[in-house]
Amino acid sequence: MADLAPQGRFNPWPATIFVILCVLAVLFLLPTVGVLLSSVKTTRDISMGDLWSLPASLYLGNFAEVLGNPAVHRYFLNTVLVTLPATAVSITLGALAGYVFAKLPFRGSNALFLIIVAGMFFPPQVILVPLFRMFNGMGLIDTLWPVIIVHSALGLPICALMMRNFFATVPNALREAAIMEGASEWQVLTRVVLPLSLPALAVLATLQFTWIWNDFLWPLIFTQSDDKRTIMIGIVNLKGQYSVAWGVQGALSLVASLPTLLVFLFFQRFFIKGMTMGAVKG
Amino acid sequence: MARVQLSDLRKSFGQVQVIKGLDLDIADGEFVVFVGPSGCGKSTTLRIIAGLEDATSGAIRLDGRDVTRTRPADRGIAMVFQSYALFPHMTVADNIGFGLQLQKQDRALISRRVAEVAETLHLTPLLTRYPRELSGGQRQRVAIGRAIIRNPRVFLFDEPLSNLDAALRVQMRLEIARLHQGLGATMVYVTHDQVEAMTLADRIVVFNDGRIEQVGSPMDLYEHPENRFVAGFIGAPAMNFLPVRVLGTQLEVPGMATIPVPPGKEAATELGIRPEHLHVVDGLSADLSGEVELIERLGAETYAYVRVPGLPLDLTVRLPGETALRARSSIALKIDWTRAKWFNASGRVL
Amino acid sequence: MEQHNRFWRVVLLAAPLGVFGIFVLWPLFSSFYYSLTDWNGFDPNYSFVGFDNFAKIASDRLFLQAAINTAIWMVAAIVLPTTLGLALALLLDSRVLGARVFKSIFYLPICLSAVIVGQIWIWIYQADWGLLNTIITEVTGEKYKYAWLAKPDTALWSVIVAWSWQQTGLAMVIYLAGLTAIPGDLLEVCEIEGATPWQRFRRVVLPLLAPSTVVVVALSVINSLKGFDILYIMTGGGPFNSSDTLAMHMYNESFKKYLMGYGAAISVVLFLIAMAIIGLYFRQLRKVDRIYG
Repeated sequence: MADLAPQGRFNPWPATIFVILCVLAVLFLLPTVGVLLSSVKTTRDISMGDLWSLPASLYLGNFAEVLGNPAVHRYFLNTVLVTLPATAVSITLGALAGYVFAKLPFRGSNALFLIIVAGMFFPPQVILVPLFRMFNGMGLIDTLWPVIIVHSALGLPICALMMRNFFATVPNALREAAIMEGASEWQVLTRVVLPLSLPALAVLATLQFTWIWNDFLWPLIFTQSDDKRTIMIGIVNLKGQYSVAWGVQGALSLVASLPTLLVFLFFQRFFIKGMTMGAVKG
Repeated sequence: MARVQLSDLRKSFGQVQVIKGLDLDIADGEFVVFVGPSGCGKSTTLRIIAGLEDATSGAIRLDGRDVTRTRPADRGIAMVFQSYALFPHMTVADNIGFGLQLQKQDRALISRRVAEVAETLHLTPLLTRYPRELSGGQRQRVAIGRAIIRNPRVFLFDEPLSNLDAALRVQMRLEIARLHQGLGATMVYVTHDQVEAMTLADRIVVFNDGRIEQVGSPMDLYEHPENRFVAGFIGAPAMNFLPVRVLGTQLEVPGMATIPVPPGKEAATELGIRPEHLHVVDGLSADLSGEVELIERLGAETYAYVRVPGLPLDLTVRLPGETALRARSSIALKIDWTRAKWFNASGRVL
Repeated sequence: MEQHNRFWRVVLLAAPLGVFGIFVLWPLFSSFYYSLTDWNGFDPNYSFVGFDNFAKIASDRLFLQAAINTAIWMVAAIVLPTTLGLALALLLDSRVLGARVFKSIFYLPICLSAVIVGQIWIWIYQADWGLLNTIITEVTGEKYKYAWLAKPDTALWSVIVAWSWQQTGLAMVIYLAGLTAIPGDLLEVCEIEGATPWQRFRRVVLPLLAPSTVVVVALSVINSLKGFDILYIMTGGGPFNSSDTLAMHMYNESFKKYLMGYGAAISVVLFLIAMAIIGLYFRQLRKVDRIYG
């Protein structure tokens, strides 16, 4: 049949798939759309059961409320102060370790690598109590330091894994050529291997930034006073203040998610590519 | 420029000994080629000279100075890699000037030197390109440029032409020969391609199983191999080997009438004849006769693979380009006895 | 060279291993120690109680409940997003119109934090005006309206659905990458051999996706073992501990009741469970490695 009329044949599959995807996409978008809608509606509209309809007019009062709240400023600043250094440090540590495992292997380095990677798998609750005691002893509880330090340390497994897998794809001859030219190992890393690893760095930057920015557990444990809280804890804290102000909560959620969405959009190009290299080839 | 001396060089990876005691003296300005089958230790030896691998024991001297424990960069050695090893994120100019940049040389001086080197290698129009945008031959020239810019005392080449197609390989071979004449530098070149070895080398070093089998000029190795391995390795197509048996004063070769033992060859167990030393004759004066199994025509010459009753392997015979022979035709062969090689049971030439 | 390499290994590994050792490995080992004490979190004086904490675990009804919930949570949180993500990847791989837009839509939730995902889904499950009940009311009337998060029989599963919504995009992306890595000629062979689409999927595509599955499952295990944030936000383990997991139980005992020693003991059990799963996982991994290198 199909062979008889190759040009005019109607293939129902693409259309069916498209329709299925559209339905799924709507289902997937609904929750996010709900937040978007709530953020541009007045509390009164929402409490009258009008959350899920298209708004007649844009109401920006919720955003004004959120952006004008000094507590939100504080939360944001704290989150930036945690996320940026912890992302940078974890990637740096991962790159250093990954370089040794990829380019300077030694007897037992595979076992050591496995131990570090296993760190990715165990639940963080296991080290919660001892870390609390350790930082308590150092007088660092209720500062941002423990959060930065713990994220730097717990980021090492994934960073070392990704960097090692990526570095392994950089030919050994490049390292040897650089050494013949007089480069030290440090120069090989910074001038040859790292510049070639920008896609991997972009992927890690996205992953780590998102993960640390969105984290809830560690700041919950290590900070106590309101002016040390990060944005995710802040949202929960402000729930009381804005208990029925659903629109303000929606606006707050959007504002808090904006940095990670922007980072993702910015690095998206590298992301899929880097995922393929780091993950599937790994 | 420099003289390179290896003395009792050994290298083990774990329990496995891959270099089993090498002694070699490479004269200043000499072009030496290491050949041998894969895994024979030729590349490892080159990497030890470069300093990329440590010798387990033994010493490397450059101009008499012991450099066995010296860092690669301080040996004054440059190396051209099989994969070219160009830095993909640097332009041609930066690739060539990388070593000088690392030495924190003056920028103006670097760009002047890069320009000079690019000029000699015809790379000037390509200086702002990235390696990805170059052809294989161009990449190879950049790799050579990166090597010559620092005026090294010794050049090392690790199978530099094996990634190129056949035509380009011939062209680059000539360019490397020209470079050697121009610079007069000591060069050590690793290859498994014996044509490259024969054409480029002042002296060839034949490696086998972590040892040197023989060192000599290309013609020397061709005419006077010291043992069965060198005889078989040098020359293409390879030498024919025929098992022989000495019975008193008579010598027995399968497929052949017995002949008197030539003087001094009483211990012979094997006879070696190169394909070019077998001549097609009419039946009467023939030493051997058989049937042509297969004909390979290369244009300028033709190889015939001849099945001789009683011989375990086909004989390879080199013939002129135009020959009337076809597969399945019978053939009578005469051995050029003056060029025949005789081997004893341990493979030494008699 | 070897001497040079040794020097640089030490230099380059010092910082990462130092940080990892002090802030991950050392706490891990001291966790075992604290699990044998009755430390309360602030008192410098505490005593060694041997295996009392573990004996307590054995008789702790809430622990058992939490362990069962953790098992349900883990299985569902691995199976649901993985299957759904694979299905989406297969649909998107057919070069359908607007694939890029669809990809971004399905991926979007990954960028959101557990706190915000929790928030969004609380609104969906909200009893009076939540989206779910609104739709149900439209279709069936008031009869099937339900307080999804406030009832013990639905609380855990409601959170699992929210979690799957968030995690599906990740599985999809990895499977998409895996699908593009399947050589086209293998699929052409299927066509020539006359395989049906189902045979092609079951016998060729799915086995070739094994390396992707390895990654997806690893990430799911990692994420679900850490399953704490979203439960904390959405149900807090309630109602009546019906959605309590081990991670949650451990947090409550340590930081709400200040039974740090007991909390450490729970975390040790959690660790052992994690190790058992990792062991199984690595064994599977070796099999995949033999084929795919």
